[in-house]
Amino acid sequence: MISLQNVTKTYKNGVTALEAVSIEIEKGEFVFVVGPSGSGKSTTLRLLLREEEPSIGEVFVAGKNVLRLSSLGGIPKLRRNIGCVFQDFKLLQDKTVFENVSFALEVIGKPKHVIDTRVPEILDYVGLGEKLNNYPDELSGGEQQRVSIARACVNRPLVLLADEPTGNLDPNTSVDIMRLLDKVNKIGTTVVMATHDQAIVDAMRKRVIELDKGKVVRDQSRGVYS
Amino acid sequence: MRRIEFYFRETAAGIRRNGIMAFAAMSTAFIALFLFGLALIIAREINLVIEAVTGNVQVAVYLSDPVRPETVTRIQSELQDLTGAVASVQYEDKTEACARAKELFSSNPAITENVPCDVYPASFRVTLADTAQYAQITAALSCEPDPTTHDITCTEPGVLKVLDFRDILDRLSAITRVLRNGVLFIAVIMLVSATVLVANTLRMGMFARRKEIGIMRLVGATNWRIRVPFLIEGLVEALVGAALAIITLFLVKVFVVDQLRGRIVWLPLIRNGDVLAITPWILIAAAGVAIVAGTIGIRRFLDV
Repeated sequence: MISLQNVTKTYKNGVTALEAVSIEIEKGEFVFVVGPSGSGKSTTLRLLLREEEPSIGEVFVAGKNVLRLSSLGGIPKLRRNIGCVFQDFKLLQDKTVFENVSFALEVIGKPKHVIDTRVPEILDYVGLGEKLNNYPDELSGGEQQRVSIARACVNRPLVLLADEPTGNLDPNTSVDIMRLLDKVNKIGTTVVMATHDQAIVDAMRKRVIELDKGKVVRDQSRGVYS
Repeated sequence: MRRIEFYFRETAAGIRRNGIMAFAAMSTAFIALFLFGLALIIAREINLVIEAVTGNVQVAVYLSDPVRPETVTRIQSELQDLTGAVASVQYEDKTEACARAKELFSSNPAITENVPCDVYPASFRVTLADTAQYAQITAALSCEPDPTTHDITCTEPGVLKVLDFRDILDRLSAITRVLRNGVLFIAVIMLVSATVLVANTLRMGMFARRKEIGIMRLVGATNWRIRVPFLIEGLVEALVGAALAIITLFLVKVFVVDQLRGRIVWLPLIRNGDVLAITPWILIAAAGVAIVAGTIGIRRFLDV
């Protein structure tokens, strides 16, 4: 599903974020990417989204070399297959829960009848079926993160990328969010989650890829944080 | 259908959110396009005057009454023989002269109804090949300027007098040039500022909505899906300016030009059709403003 082959990424300012990294992730896997700040976790996710290009090496997502995609059609199509969740939720404050999720379908041109069935369905799935018409500032942090997961999953992506999704949440809420991500993973979505959260990694016992100074220092199935 | 609805909803939201900037852009576009239209109308008006005064010929040779057919043929061939000086010679008989006068004074029925047709003289209307060779004509018809009235009277039988329009033509076209170019110059400056303002409005709109744009890119919206609402916004602002400019030009026609109609009898004035004829040019200029502003304004967001 995801393949980084000997990838090096050096930014324009000379900082090398990743050095000769090779990672293979199969369809349906749940993978934690751990490591201290600046170890290259976010860069890895940005490479998968084709927000960055590798300086050396190749990146494949769903069988496609992301470097070969055109910005006119290929890159948008790639991103429709990847859902994204962030630490800061990135919700639009002037839109309701329903509108935040439907926006993601609307801007890729989905017809109204698809939006009207899928959006309530996915909000029900993440446990927010009762809060369709609330605004983000009326929700708790955990609920806001559920909205952002719903937005990431509403187009049924092959891959879900989560960048510190529990970074702003208390431990109990984090556990709820992890249960939800696990549920999303169980229906076949490949989940890649960058995190600092030791307790969560240890509790989940999933595959762990540890980065340090841009290099893979550990790749362990059913691993713990360190 | 759904896509169009999306674009227009996004565009309307953009203009609302960016109200003051959008207003500034629209009013600048309005003033610029109004001045542009005004320049075109001034040029059109002066052309009407030139046509009325000279019938678009440079020299007229009037024939004295009664006009004999043999005089017409003789003078015609005499004029046509002056190949170096004369480009074309057209004969206008008394009926044609009368018809042209009626059209010229059509806004003044007092003249068209009361002046009998036979007072208008028949004439040869001459376009010169080389204006400097004008003297050849007066020489061929043995004409002399009258030192007191400056009329050019001729001893050639059948010829009443010769009217030389070269001087007046030169002066009128000089006035046209100065007026039209002056207004066009201001119009161009205003069009440039309108373009910059519209571009800046688009850019500010994109900045204000950078969060939405970020999410759109993330979930796989195409470049055009993201940009089109802003391009439509620029187009709407330019077209609102164009509509206001066209309305104002019609108001100028009704409240300024129409008030003069009939007061100066010989002066032909622009009509609704003349204003209508320049509206496509205003719309083209507005589209130009929108296209250039769109290209500049969204350049920063060109890559996915």
